[in-house]
Amino acid sequence: MTRVIEVPATFDDRSFEQFAAGFGSWPPEEKVLVDARGAQWASPFGLLAMLTAGQALAEARRDRPLFTVPTSDDVKRYWARAGFFKYAAELFELHGKIPRVAASGPSDVLLDVTPVRATEDVHEVVEKISQGASRILHGELGLEMKATLRFSMALSEACQNIVEHAGTSGWVAVQAYTFRRRLGRRVVVIAVSDAGIGFRRSLESTHAKRFGERWGDGAALEAALIQGVSRFRDPGRGQGLAFIKRFLDQWNGKISIRSGTARLAIVPPWDEDVPLGEHLPFFPGAQVQIIIPAQDAEAR
Amino acid sequence: MIQRIHLGHLLRETVASPYRNLVTRPTGAAIRNRIQEAIAGSDCPTALLDFSGIELLDFSCADEVVAKLLLSGEERDGRFVVLGGLREDQHEAIEHVLTHHRLAVAAVAPGDQDDGPRLLGWVTPDARAAFTWVCARGAGRAGELAAALGWALARAEETLAALALRRLVRADDEGYHPLPIA
Repeated sequence: MTRVIEVPATFDDRSFEQFAAGFGSWPPEEKVLVDARGAQWASPFGLLAMLTAGQALAEARRDRPLFTVPTSDDVKRYWARAGFFKYAAELFELHGKIPRVAASGPSDVLLDVTPVRATEDVHEVVEKISQGASRILHGELGLEMKATLRFSMALSEACQNIVEHAGTSGWVAVQAYTFRRRLGRRVVVIAVSDAGIGFRRSLESTHAKRFGERWGDGAALEAALIQGVSRFRDPGRGQGLAFIKRFLDQWNGKISIRSGTARLAIVPPWDEDVPLGEHLPFFPGAQVQIIIPAQDAEAR
Repeated sequence: MIQRIHLGHLLRETVASPYRNLVTRPTGAAIRNRIQEAIAGSDCPTALLDFSGIELLDFSCADEVVAKLLLSGEERDGRFVVLGGLREDQHEAIEHVLTHHRLAVAAVAPGDQDDGPRLLGWVTPDARAAFTWVCARGAGRAGELAAALGWALARAEETLAALALRRLVRADDEGYHPLPIA
């Protein structure tokens, strides 16, 4: 038996739930086939979700999953240039022709798909992003120059959460594109995803008691993102997400974190997302998305 | 006498790569250990941590390097710590983490040594006013501060004593002095 999981034609944080639901109870008993033939577009969040699924299946010692590549040459080429297939080939048995193109080609990809396994990788990510962030954030999105450094700080803190809390490795990707339907403006999107223990398990030993029966994936996300708690007793911890929230508030940005069966978002006025979603299909680890929109002329 | 510690040099020696970004907690902890070693090996009463060779400083590193260094007061063996060469974003990160811990440190902006240090972090308005007065005047006693700011003597004594306890001014038999930064 093979469980076929269809990749949504437009794969972003919204259609992610359809993808997650496809796995059923985790980890699935059957061999998995991720079918991306019909994919027309994937956000960084979508690309990392597929890699995270592959990684989680490998770590659950399941059969190597199959992956059918998109039919569209344009989509294949874009995913290849974003560095997706380089890592997908390590996790999936790929079926279909993959274009031979170098990663980090498209100018709107600030950071192609990059693994985050250790502290050294966070240094690499920050070094890489600093080269293109100014051009996109200041030049295209109209943010002040100082926002470029704060953006890199936010990225660094988000990546460190993998190294510090996930218990396994993860991925990061950063891309600029136009948010036509929701906003009608250019945005920069940071996606960070891991297949680790998730927020609930990370915080359980130190914070579950305080929440009593309310404790779960949603409460854990609230504790981390809203209350700024950490599993470490060190009082200096928990400031990274607090800074990211403050930075996003200043630039009208959005953060959403999905972990286990819940998803929590700080929703800016331009979006209509639900702040807290619970009882969602289980998906391993934690997936963070940060969106920074172009500033309108008045805000500049 | 002042001991200038170049964080850019320490970073390159510690991570063995040509990075200019001070990020991540393990890197921050390693840099803090190197700073503590350098301070322990010096007779200078003041250590100036020079950030001018650093590009990005994230919150985790600011917490590990600066906040935890200040929290380890006993390990500093009574030495004064001053920050220098900070850019606005680095200033902001350090201000944030120190406020979180209710700590404070003196900082001099690049090329600003003549203007004296400023306080970063958590301080009361009285402490800030007294610090500014001591730095502007060069040295003084509680009675003089009380007269200058129109405070009761006890308020001035308490404020200056608290600044000295937090190693933000230097106290001796002649009164209170700014930290030596040149």
